[in-house]
Amino acid sequence: MTLALVLRFAGRDWRAGELRLLFAALLLAVGAVSAVSLFVDRLQRALVVESTSFLGADRVIDSSQAIPERFRDLARAEGLRVVDVVSFPSMVFADSNSGRADGRSQLAGVKAVTPGYPLRGVLRVADEPFGASRVTSGMPELGEVWMDSRLFPALGVAVGDQVLVGHARFVVAKVIAGEPDRGGFSEFAPRLLMRAEDVPGTRVIQPASRIEYRLGLAGDDDRLAALKAAIESELAPNYRWRSIRDTGQDIARALERAESFLLLGGLLAVLLAGIAVALGANRYARRHFDHVGVLKTLGATPRDIQWGYTGVLLVIGIAGALIGLLLGALVHWAIIAALGDYLPRSLPWPGPRPLVVGLVTGFICLLAFALPPLLGLRKVSPMRVMRRDLAPSAAPFVTYGFGVVGSLGLLIWYSGDVRLTVAALVGGLVAGGCFAVVALVLLRGGRVVGMQAGSMWRLALAGLQRRHRENVAQIMIFGFAIMLLLIMVLVRTALIDEWRAQIPEGTPNHTLINVAPDEAASVQSMLESNADWAGELTPMTRGRVSAVNDVPAAQWSRRIRSQGVSEGERGPGPRLRSERPVTFLARLPDNNLVVEGEWWTETPEEPAISLTEDYAGHLGLALGDSMAFDIGGLPLVAKVTSLRRIQFESPQPYFYIIFSPGAMAGHPVTYMTSFFLPPEKKPFLNELLSAHPTVTVVEWDAIIAQVRRIVASVTQAVELVLYLVLAAGTLVLIASIQSSRDLRLKEHALLRALGGTRKLISGALVAEFTVLGAFAGVVAAAGAEITVWALNSGIFELPTRLHPWLLAAGPALGVAIVATVGYLGTRKLVFSPPITVLREV
Amino acid sequence: MPTSLLYATGLVKRVSTATGELTILDDVDVAVEQGAQLAVVGESGSGKTTLLGILAGLDLPSAGQVWLDGAEITALDEEQRARVRGRSVGFVFQSFQLIDSLTALENVMLPLELRGDGRARQGAREFLQRVGLAARTTHYPRQLSGGEQQRVAIARAFACAPKVLFADEPTGNLDTRTGARIADLLFNLNSEEATTLVLVTHDAALAARCGATLALEAGRIAGVQR
Repeated sequence: MTLALVLRFAGRDWRAGELRLLFAALLLAVGAVSAVSLFVDRLQRALVVESTSFLGADRVIDSSQAIPERFRDLARAEGLRVVDVVSFPSMVFADSNSGRADGRSQLAGVKAVTPGYPLRGVLRVADEPFGASRVTSGMPELGEVWMDSRLFPALGVAVGDQVLVGHARFVVAKVIAGEPDRGGFSEFAPRLLMRAEDVPGTRVIQPASRIEYRLGLAGDDDRLAALKAAIESELAPNYRWRSIRDTGQDIARALERAESFLLLGGLLAVLLAGIAVALGANRYARRHFDHVGVLKTLGATPRDIQWGYTGVLLVIGIAGALIGLLLGALVHWAIIAALGDYLPRSLPWPGPRPLVVGLVTGFICLLAFALPPLLGLRKVSPMRVMRRDLAPSAAPFVTYGFGVVGSLGLLIWYSGDVRLTVAALVGGLVAGGCFAVVALVLLRGGRVVGMQAGSMWRLALAGLQRRHRENVAQIMIFGFAIMLLLIMVLVRTALIDEWRAQIPEGTPNHTLINVAPDEAASVQSMLESNADWAGELTPMTRGRVSAVNDVPAAQWSRRIRSQGVSEGERGPGPRLRSERPVTFLARLPDNNLVVEGEWWTETPEEPAISLTEDYAGHLGLALGDSMAFDIGGLPLVAKVTSLRRIQFESPQPYFYIIFSPGAMAGHPVTYMTSFFLPPEKKPFLNELLSAHPTVTVVEWDAIIAQVRRIVASVTQAVELVLYLVLAAGTLVLIASIQSSRDLRLKEHALLRALGGTRKLISGALVAEFTVLGAFAGVVAAAGAEITVWALNSGIFELPTRLHPWLLAAGPALGVAIVATVGYLGTRKLVFSPPITVLREV
Repeated sequence: MPTSLLYATGLVKRVSTATGELTILDDVDVAVEQGAQLAVVGESGSGKTTLLGILAGLDLPSAGQVWLDGAEITALDEEQRARVRGRSVGFVFQSFQLIDSLTALENVMLPLELRGDGRARQGAREFLQRVGLAARTTHYPRQLSGGEQQRVAIARAFACAPKVLFADEPTGNLDTRTGARIADLLFNLNSEEATTLVLVTHDAALAARCGATLALEAGRIAGVQR
């Protein structure tokens, strides 16, 4: 067959409306997948931008040593933007010469930055301590510092006054209210921001000073990867390369789950669209049996038929894929316009991948789902022109084989996740088998019940039983579509609940540390009367690991390295020899879960410690290990008796190391606590710090707000994908009803010709679709429950629970959707003269 | 190799059914010379349509051989048989077998297009004119009467100048008057084009217009009249 002839055939089929369902399914497949991919791609880029603000850059290189100039040069050569950040603790003195201050001093966390800081995220400033903050694009001028609100009462200074850092004098120009890369628990000291160029004048940096050097990098992922590759060999052990995924575990995990969910949504949209394509192609093929019979009598060879219809499919594929891409782009713009308020202001442009994903999806859908039924046409016997009962024998194995291989390839390529894909596919096949059995049993049962029912129901149930093979397939398809929708709803609900639970309203937004034992009672009472919520005071001190199992800490670290896994290669994590806060507690903290060993029920005789599992994992520690500590110069040895998992990560500090009560008897401790203070009560902090100038307040508001913004964006994306899957599911239902329409039409037109009233026919149709919908709903509810259980426990790591309401909601949803769509799709036959219908079919 | 344009010997057709094997044709021989006309008659279920299908290369016998236009089509595969059909055979069916989604003109063009004939449109127009449907070229089958549809089918059958025309109850779906007109048209075109005709029919009058009649009874030849 020539191309011209193929095009002519395709044109004629299009004009006759034969290709429209297939084309619509293909448009939806390509449109939905490219819209989801485009949106997800842009949203992911936006989320990465948003979340990288936690680092203040796309990537950072950290070290306790100065960053080599070579790193900077290479980064610039790659076209990356760079900033230097140097952090160190230093005493800050109020300048008694300024007239207002009385020479008070306070330990501050000094951060000195070069122009361009921050590369990601924003700085927030205020005009007065604890006052309303605003975003600024500026940074301190040379000779100026910006200070944390709590430094002002501690030093007794105001904006415009002067302070001393080391040997240099600075003007306090602004109050710093937020910085994107505010460190975690280790940075308790109030912030003082200055220019890196001013640091040498302070003369505070001496050999052995505790300084953290950081090089912030921003630019394309490819260029960042190239830089990393170039300097990789020089990083370990002194420099650490970090991305957002290595920091802020809560954000990283939320992002990962959201990505998994969006991916799952995309996969389901592809599968649903594939089913719609398969149904459309099946209908097209069935309607062409006669056509092919005639063509064969006219001399068309099986090869002509094969290439002719493959050609028609290709024509449709190319047109559908291109228009589908356009549709996908339009839909994604419409979504962005609709969600404008919730999305980051400027979404980055997408990469080419979503478009390729859309195109390839279209063609694989055609090859895997549409080609097999069309290839079956080559087997139509030319004798069919004289004996219509000669339908081509189906080759289900080959047909389904194509679909399964096609889906598998498509899903693996789309998700890049073999585990998720194989799990989804095996689950789908097992569910399909179970669905078929359940559907058959339900249909048989329905027939028995139908014998006792009124004529309308009897007609409907008899019809269902008579066409049981087609109806089992239809129940499976309806059931599958409804199941996928239920899965999306359930997983989405669990995910969003989980995210929202991470930072509920009233989450403590302040941490108070350095509370001396004699101040504890007074501080507690002030908090109780002023804060909206205040926790209990927890004892704490700082300690350093000196040995593990009698092996000096330095040697233990080397031993881990010699095992082929260096601390750095284990991913950034806590270092063994760092000084860090420790506590002793009788009761397991609320958001902690013991995963190995046991929490002490009473004070153990020997000192015991509980470690977080990631700390232990990073440092090669296990239950029963003995750890020696240096706590304020005093030695302490304790055995590891339990490992904990922090269940809900929030910006709250937590302890890697907790001692059993009594273990630290005799060691000097201070206390810490957390409390929630709404914005309007912020001035209380002034009062608190004035009364207790030595305590330190850490504010978490900015981080909490940032996390909330990310959760809101991710939630929007998740809901949007749900709607797209809903649209794909509805098209499958329509395609399925369309594909069985001819059979129903013929049967019911005959009944009408034989005297069946419109009321009886329309009643029987509604009854038939009601039964199909209810049966499909039952199998969908069961399938969804099992799948969601597996997904939540296996992929999303969410708590699993049963949803008994599904047993009612599944069938109800099935009846509502299938009966409505089914009736609307077939009502034409009720209102058309039977002769017209009979002629048409 | 037989010299007849269409020659079949020892044709047997058996099919498996739920109740056992059923013999539809049993040792049937046929020979039709070029330009001759053969009517196949018999009661319903006597095997007429099966015989037509086998003679035309649409189906294969369980035993026996068929030669059509010099080729032993029973030794060919479906691909090769289709080429023989395209080159040598035309069909007219009881139920017309027009393609609903194509206009009258496009239906007639179809065999010419499949053959790669660059003058498909012109040739189809000429034949539609010859069957009296010049004014109905853009009409779809559902817009035509039964008689008109059969005329389109006849135009399609003759459009690519077949050597043998197989007609399966060509007037079976038409009223007597229309049937008679269609029969006239068929025989006129047949003689104008010097086509060999094999006709399956119940209609004795129609069978009588053919030069020879082969009567089938329960799958066996009951008689041959020349």
